[in-house]
Amino acid sequence: MTVLSCDQLDVRIAGVNVASQLELTLEPGQFWGLLGPNGIGKTTLLKCLSGISAPVAGRVLLESRDVSELPRRLLARHIGMLQQHTVYVFDSRVLQTALTGRHPHLGYWEREGPMDMEKAINALRAVGLDGFSERSVTGLSGGEARRLAFAALLVQEPDVLLLDEPTNHLDLRHQVQIMTMIREQTRDCGRSALAALHDINLAARFCSHILMLFGDGQWCAGRSEDMLNETSLERLYQCPVERVQGQSGPRFHPAG
Amino acid sequence: MATVTGSVILEWNQWLMALTSPQSEYGELVWRLRLPRAMAAWTVGALLSLSGCLMQVLLRNPLADPYILGVSGGASFATLLGMTLGVASGLLPALALAGSLLSIVIVFSLARGEGPWSGTRLLLTGVVTASGWSALISLLLTLGPDGSLRGMLFWLLGDLSYARTPIWAIGALALIFLLCLGMARSLNVLAMGETTARLLGEPTHKLLWLVYLLASILTATAVSIAGNIGFVGLIVPHLMRLIVGSDHRTLLPAAALFGGLFLVLSDTLARTVLAPRQLPVGVVTALLGVPLFLLLLNRARVRQ
Repeated sequence: MTVLSCDQLDVRIAGVNVASQLELTLEPGQFWGLLGPNGIGKTTLLKCLSGISAPVAGRVLLESRDVSELPRRLLARHIGMLQQHTVYVFDSRVLQTALTGRHPHLGYWEREGPMDMEKAINALRAVGLDGFSERSVTGLSGGEARRLAFAALLVQEPDVLLLDEPTNHLDLRHQVQIMTMIREQTRDCGRSALAALHDINLAARFCSHILMLFGDGQWCAGRSEDMLNETSLERLYQCPVERVQGQSGPRFHPAG
Repeated sequence: MATVTGSVILEWNQWLMALTSPQSEYGELVWRLRLPRAMAAWTVGALLSLSGCLMQVLLRNPLADPYILGVSGGASFATLLGMTLGVASGLLPALALAGSLLSIVIVFSLARGEGPWSGTRLLLTGVVTASGWSALISLLLTLGPDGSLRGMLFWLLGDLSYARTPIWAIGALALIFLLCLGMARSLNVLAMGETTARLLGEPTHKLLWLVYLLASILTATAVSIAGNIGFVGLIVPHLMRLIVGSDHRTLLPAAALFGGLFLVLSDTLARTVLAPRQLPVGVVTALLGVPLFLLLLNRARVRQ
């Protein structure tokens, strides 16, 4: 399995310093949570790691190779990203959309085979969209569209999963379901994941590691249990935080 | 059917005779006049439909049609200028082609610029260029001699009267069709948005410019044969999306086939409805296409 890492990475967008001198290694098996206030540049960082936008300085490395020098198709077989929004201009079927995940694995004239079909059907079943195969994507609810996009990512089978707010639009049950699946992908399948999240408690429950973006280029990374405490979270969100000991670990709430 | 009817309506046995003996009077009619014209109509219909499919993906806009980026404007201006100056009609297709290629080059070099792909910039550049051409065309129409106005109007509305079997256009169509079919899956991904396509491994910058150039060449070819036939390139891709779905691997062949058929049918009507007078085929495509499209759209909504 492949390792994605950053080497002295400087990321900026529109004058905002997202991260400077970022050193990060996504090892197989790790599930990273990316925390930070609104507009701090979480999406920008994810795009940079996926190779679709360029850093100001430094390198993003897939194994030991710079992603900016690798062909896009090869990259797409190793790095997959769930975007924050999915907008469908043209209508399509749910199954057909899930199958687009196979795109980087197929050649110029090649069609999807029975194996690809099976992968798509399995992924749709995993996200609870079995029976939706022939439905049109423009008719899906926000949460269903979100789960479809996640299914397409599973079908893509990348070693590194980058997820921009994967639990957006999802109800409680599906939030837990998606987070559980990402954890399975990392822990059991030897992949790695980095997910931008706003729910500290989902991060506390599922993520093995945390990367915090404080703004002005400052960042902090480490194991979840070391990273998640009142001090760091108050600094991160500029808001008093209260720690409560739950049955399955610590939970954090806005205090006051 | 297109070869049977016209100002002179053939009986079936006359038609069969004509087909088997090209030297006879009716044989001449069928082989020299009607068949080449039907072939031209089919080719132009297929070219425009295919171009429409590509433009809609390129601009990610279901309202895009083959003419939106000014390709036809350049062709129209060149042709009308030729008509005003009294250039031999045989040279007009070449002029149209030159005009559209000029327009493609202008839009391409202005919209390209530095930095990332911007669909909006391409759209704006194209639309503004098209407006510029249309102003020049209006100028020509007002200044032009009255005698040639009718010919100009027919050309602007789209007219197949002077079309001959366009061997080179069929070649271009076949070549670009195969190319597009090969990258049909990439087009599917591109229709989901540029970022999505890049994340799925498409070098979108190259791909988008390739799609732009292919679509423009298809349009330029069509326009040089038959003028600005409206509506086919907008409506056929939509109709086919409603019928066969949005997978370009089936959509492209369906659009090319149906677009061709649709234009042959329209042109046959244009020749026969008021025979021996001929209507500009562009009028017929719109008159036929609008109700057909509205009907199908309505049905699709009911089914959902």
